[in-house]
Amino acid sequence: MSSMVRFTLDGREASAPEGELLVHAAARHGVFIPTLCHDDKLDPYGGCRMCVVGVEGSPRPLPACATRVAEGMVVSTNSNVPAFRKTLTEMLLAEHLDPNPGGRPNELTDLAADLDAEAPFILPDAKRKEYEDRNRLMGYTPDACILCNRCVRYTQEVMQCSALSLEGRGPHARIVPTWERSWLDTECELCGGCLSVCPTGAIFEKFLEGTEQPERELVKTKTTCTFCGVGCQLDLNVDPETNRIVKVTSEPHYVSNEGNLCVKGRFAFNFVHHPDRLTKPMVRREDGELHETSWEDALQVAADGLNRVKAEHGPQAIGFLASARLTMEENFLIQKLARSVVGTNSIHSCEAT
Amino acid sequence: MIGSNTTEAHPVLALRMKKAARKGATIVVADPRKIWLTKLAKRHLQLRPGSDVWLVNAMMHVILKEGLQDEEYIREHTEDFEAVAEVVSRYTPEEAEKVTGVPAADIVATAREYATEKHAAVFYTLGITEHACAVDNIWSLSNLVLMTGHLGYESTGLNALRGQNNVQGLNDAGANPAYFPGYQPADSAEIRQKFSEAWGVEVPETPGYRLDQIMSGLHDGRIRALYLIGENPAQTEPNAHHVMEGLEHVDFLITQDLFLNDMTERLADVVFPASSFAEKDGTFTNTERRVNRVRKALPCPGEAREDWQIVVDMAKAMGGNWPEYRTPEDAWNEFADLAPFWTGIRYDRIEEVGLQWPCTDRDHPGTPYLHAPSPSRPNGKGKFYPVEYQPPIEQPDSEYPFVLSTGRTLYHYNSATMTMREEGVVQKQEDPFVEMHPDDAAALGVQDGDWVRLVSRRGELEARAAVGERVYPGLVWMALHFAQAKVNWLTHDVGDPLIGTPEYKTSAIRIEPVGSALKPAAR
Repeated sequence: MSSMVRFTLDGREASAPEGELLVHAAARHGVFIPTLCHDDKLDPYGGCRMCVVGVEGSPRPLPACATRVAEGMVVSTNSNVPAFRKTLTEMLLAEHLDPNPGGRPNELTDLAADLDAEAPFILPDAKRKEYEDRNRLMGYTPDACILCNRCVRYTQEVMQCSALSLEGRGPHARIVPTWERSWLDTECELCGGCLSVCPTGAIFEKFLEGTEQPERELVKTKTTCTFCGVGCQLDLNVDPETNRIVKVTSEPHYVSNEGNLCVKGRFAFNFVHHPDRLTKPMVRREDGELHETSWEDALQVAADGLNRVKAEHGPQAIGFLASARLTMEENFLIQKLARSVVGTNSIHSCEAT
Repeated sequence: MIGSNTTEAHPVLALRMKKAARKGATIVVADPRKIWLTKLAKRHLQLRPGSDVWLVNAMMHVILKEGLQDEEYIREHTEDFEAVAEVVSRYTPEEAEKVTGVPAADIVATAREYATEKHAAVFYTLGITEHACAVDNIWSLSNLVLMTGHLGYESTGLNALRGQNNVQGLNDAGANPAYFPGYQPADSAEIRQKFSEAWGVEVPETPGYRLDQIMSGLHDGRIRALYLIGENPAQTEPNAHHVMEGLEHVDFLITQDLFLNDMTERLADVVFPASSFAEKDGTFTNTERRVNRVRKALPCPGEAREDWQIVVDMAKAMGGNWPEYRTPEDAWNEFADLAPFWTGIRYDRIEEVGLQWPCTDRDHPGTPYLHAPSPSRPNGKGKFYPVEYQPPIEQPDSEYPFVLSTGRTLYHYNSATMTMREEGVVQKQEDPFVEMHPDDAAALGVQDGDWVRLVSRRGELEARAAVGERVYPGLVWMALHFAQAKVNWLTHDVGDPLIGTPEYKTSAIRIEPVGSALKPAAR
């Protein structure tokens, strides 16, 4: 364990583990320093300067997201910093043409509201080149992008692939898939990590037609992913009016995935609403075809069928194949059905490997 | 990493490995293919499919020859070490190179690094288990771990990465012929007595059939009725044409699923419309034995029902005398009361963060890693099992010259009934494809993206050639996800003699060109 150091925060005595980032040390002492380019999943960056603080002995303010606490440091977050922060926010707003693409939360407009900042004017060259992509999962609106580079850093540091890059300079700058190819033709694995770290919703989920809904009105249900054994924790975001999953999100504090998801966990949920879903019980009649029927009838036919085989050939003639798709509780009940009602131990699954 | 394509099969877990590599961890990948992780790996041991025992035995040979084993651990915590020492003395790295294709120097270097690093862990997936020598493979890795004492503390051990969302929970729950819930052996009279009393009915003594025995039982008439829940053996089981013939013999077939498939549409007598994970409460247990809550976010569509409810309804319809289950939690509590390792896990404790079993009472914090302070056997001693190499069942020959190996990809999931219904994912990977080396493609006159026909002794299919150096010459690889080109039409069904695990990882096939490409193959 690292040793503790003492420092001064806005005139108060404080302590923190040596080497802790100032932004974290301050937060533990109840001082919230706003950030835009910072993300705990990523290396310290210090790009947007929103988190600058005064440090005694330093000729300039320093970014709290990239400065580490040291013994005896004297830090001030409230001298001339708020004015600087407000100006910075206004500069960003002056070229922030689209504050709400895809209905995602926007950390910049939230911050502007806190600071009572408004765009003093719109820069004449604020409009950036549009970006269209044929992939059906993710979209990007340059007019919402503040070039914090979180998305690019996520691909480089977390995914460790070359999927996105910052292209162009000044008013032409924007984020593009590497070499301006389609998202589908780069190393991108479509995990959507980039949009999960985007502070302004510039990268967003492309919604199925008719399901678009502002973030704040969706109902979140925390659950466990149905793809693979990692057990990622995620939130199904359901539109309460249509009862459809609109998107999937995850939070950085979730065990075991720390807010990360893969392409399946984040995007492959539409099977739930697919028109091919079975919605009525069916039984095969004498004409050899499957016919829809009532639950009562289907259960009776099924029970009679199993009871008949059991009577003629004994319980060993009935096999059960369960599934890892199902919950623990369901599998428990299925094996109980096999063992305690049918009377066979022949209960297995393809997960036998 | 041995036999685990982690970035595709467990993408989010792979992020931890990527993070570790960034912090300086050494990764060695043993895999027949150049999988993504080889980019971060210090070394790639590109072994031939099915030669794992040679590789691992040779590593142990080096460790013992150089005296790198943990003598104290072997003495205090293991038994039968000598038998393994005797066997591996014959597995030299030089001979291993001839069988595995891995340079002897790489085997030696890996053995040294693994043995001398305190926090060294082995991760494996189906590349190890989907062989006729599955148990041998596990035993040889277990020997390696025991010999070096890399067990019972953090960042060590022999770690199986569970492929499906609730494989762990499924087995924990007792959906297994050999075990009652909580791995309580079905061949124990005492255990059967316990469950008979708990359930108020005599539980069966006759041993149950394993999956492979159920499948063969379809052919010889031992199995007359089948209740399939969320499962399509006609795609996921090896030698799938043969499985299909067997299913046609069955007198009575019930399927409980989200979708119909080409098999159930033709053969099912009763179809129960079931629930997706978003439509019910319950738990999934992940690969680290963590019991996580699943929560209902939506009602089932139409008249579909939650699976637990269907099973309860079936028990009632068949005349079973069950207590009333109002919610899945009632079923969990019954399980936890009967299974000692889970007794301490209750829904109110796993609202925020799941607990890892064993967790034996309400104050137990859960168990992040097993085998501490000594291996979890009744006598506290880890057992060495000497293992000799067995070649794969089906070897390539002049008629079927290629080795076919199979697996999963990032973009799909098993029989892909879920992922093939997601347009944005299908965009990335739509057509069936087969990975082959450029040399083989050139010899066959095949370009990247061309359709080729794959033929084995059991079946044939068409797929697009994905030409590249992920595989070595003579090896081709295909994913199991494609309904129109089921790779299990090709695979053989001779499994492990002890547990019946099929040898999905090696079959012999031949390849014939079919036509030219309109677009490049997906990868």
